Amino acid sequence: MTDTATTAASAVADATNLVPSTKAVRLPGAGKLLLAQIRYQVRLLISSGRAIAVGAGLPVILLVASKGKDTRPDVAGYAVFGLTITAWSTYGVRLVAAREDGVLKRWRATPLPRWCYFLGRILATALVAVLAGAVTVAAALVFYGSHFGDGPDTQLTVTAALAIVAVLLVGAFAWAATATALTSAIPTVEAAFPTLIFIYFPVIIVSGVLFTNLSEPHWLSTLATYLPAQPLIDAVTHAVRHTSGAPFLPVRDVIVLACWAAGGLLGAIVLFRWEPHRSTQRRAARIQQ
Amino acid sequence: MAMTPVVVDHLVKQYGDLAAVDDVSFEVLDGQLLAVLGPNGAGKTTTLEILEGFSAPTAGTVRVLGTDPHRGDRAWRARIGLVLQSTSLDAELTVADTLGLFAGLYPVPLRVGEVLELVDLIDDAQTRVGALSGGQRRRVDLAIGIVGRPEVLFLDEPTTGLDPEARRRTWAGVEHLTSAGTTVVLTTHYIDEADQLADRVIVLAGGRIVADTTPGELRRRGGPSTIRYRLPDHITGADLPAGLARHLDTKGRSLVIRNTDVAASLRGLISWADRRHLDLAGLEVGPPSLEDAYLTTIGEPLTSEVHSHD
Repeated sequence: MTDTATTAASAVADATNLVPSTKAVRLPGAGKLLLAQIRYQVRLLISSGRAIAVGAGLPVILLVASKGKDTRPDVAGYAVFGLTITAWSTYGVRLVAAREDGVLKRWRATPLPRWCYFLGRILATALVAVLAGAVTVAAALVFYGSHFGDGPDTQLTVTAALAIVAVLLVGAFAWAATATALTSAIPTVEAAFPTLIFIYFPVIIVSGVLFTNLSEPHWLSTLATYLPAQPLIDAVTHAVRHTSGAPFLPVRDVIVLACWAAGGLLGAIVLFRWEPHRSTQRRAARIQQ
Repeated sequence: MAMTPVVVDHLVKQYGDLAAVDDVSFEVLDGQLLAVLGPNGAGKTTTLEILEGFSAPTAGTVRVLGTDPHRGDRAWRARIGLVLQSTSLDAELTVADTLGLFAGLYPVPLRVGEVLELVDLIDDAQTRVGALSGGQRRRVDLAIGIVGRPEVLFLDEPTTGLDPEARRRTWAGVEHLTSAGTTVVLTTHYIDEADQLADRVIVLAGGRIVADTTPGELRRRGGPSTIRYRLPDHITGADLPAGLARHLDTKGRSLVIRNTDVAASLRGLISWADRRHLDLAGLEVGPPSLEDAYLTTIGEPLTSEVHSHD
């Protein structure tokens, strides 16, 4: 017997029994599994580095580039840019890659409740996207102090910051959930980025994420209020400019974001695809040979 | 009476008009290792994916641990393990972290250290999955497949693409699982893998079972014993007597004699070699190979080359 086999044999001997007894055993609770899944997905996102590099790096570059100009930067727009690009394109491309690599299929075969997997993935992305948004706001504080925006009333208080985090979470969830539903229709990793960006840029441009387009037709600016970017900017701006007595967040904007979150989640539940497209195609080709 | 872990009864799987699996029936007994052999497109992976619950049969009945796999719930999934045809792991985490994460999904998992020893990856516990070789990643796949103490383990071509050393390490892990009583269903392209590991072999061709037997019995179907002799460089087919020349292989460099009367064939060969003062180093006399038997079973012509079995 080889050393390898001897080591393995002793491991088997140590493991009291590889096959469990048939008596009923209790499965780990879903809450514990969901938390573990969120932690795992956050680690994956952080350790790859790309999510934070894109989600926080690009907006901070825009902030630095706008320093010294006559107009103060639109911090809310930049924060939403970082958040949405993380929750939409970074997340979507990673999800398609995981599906086409068979990672999702492998998870599907485990005792993890299926909703735990993709909810954990969406929530983890939302947390990292909010972190990216928070880095942008923090950078704005460093560059412009607590008074940023276009007037003396735009001061960031602790309560306003909490309100911003809450609405960013809802917004990030809405973007990631909608991306989850859409990725089911994207067949390859190569197609993922162009498809997602092709949808993303028109939405953020009409929503005034990066700049305000004053010549926009009325119908387009009305449409933008129903998309998930402009309400997010409005809500963040509202929280920053909060005046005493008024609600910290605009109700209509929060409702729009909540609708996108619920609709995206529903779409994700109905459309979510675990199996790689390529395996189905390959199998059909093999049989036809 | 103990339940039969895997029961497949008149299984059919259609893709459009094409039957990937066509009326397949078999059982796998408790603690048995069944190897499913067959060429590409024979229906091996389709059958396995139905057993794993990934797809539903078009017709027929499948039961794994008494449950229809396509309707298997969490409790059922906690009792099976699997290794997919290709590696399917996130690359960023370490081996130990990945295994710990999967172990947390099961009610009574093995300890991570035990599993790492079992698959011979203890020295790579803190290595990122993305930094492992292909063979090491396949063993991480195997580790994830067994960390939940599965009663039934499905292995879909677990050693495809591995070098001989990595294959043998993987085999060692599988052998210890079966010796501990785990029921295993294995698909493979490697005849020697089935020969090494399997209690029973099923050969699929065109979606149908063309053999369901033991490796030994399948080998016997390969026909008579074989004498192989590589001709010295200065000898050509024209130098051979007619009785031997007809056994020349397609390249004209080796004699491959399949004959029930081995002694008579050997006498003829030795007598001719003696007359020509030829060295008989390299002369092989062996039983029919499992590969020959497999090729005979699926209707392929036997190769005339000497088969290597690393």
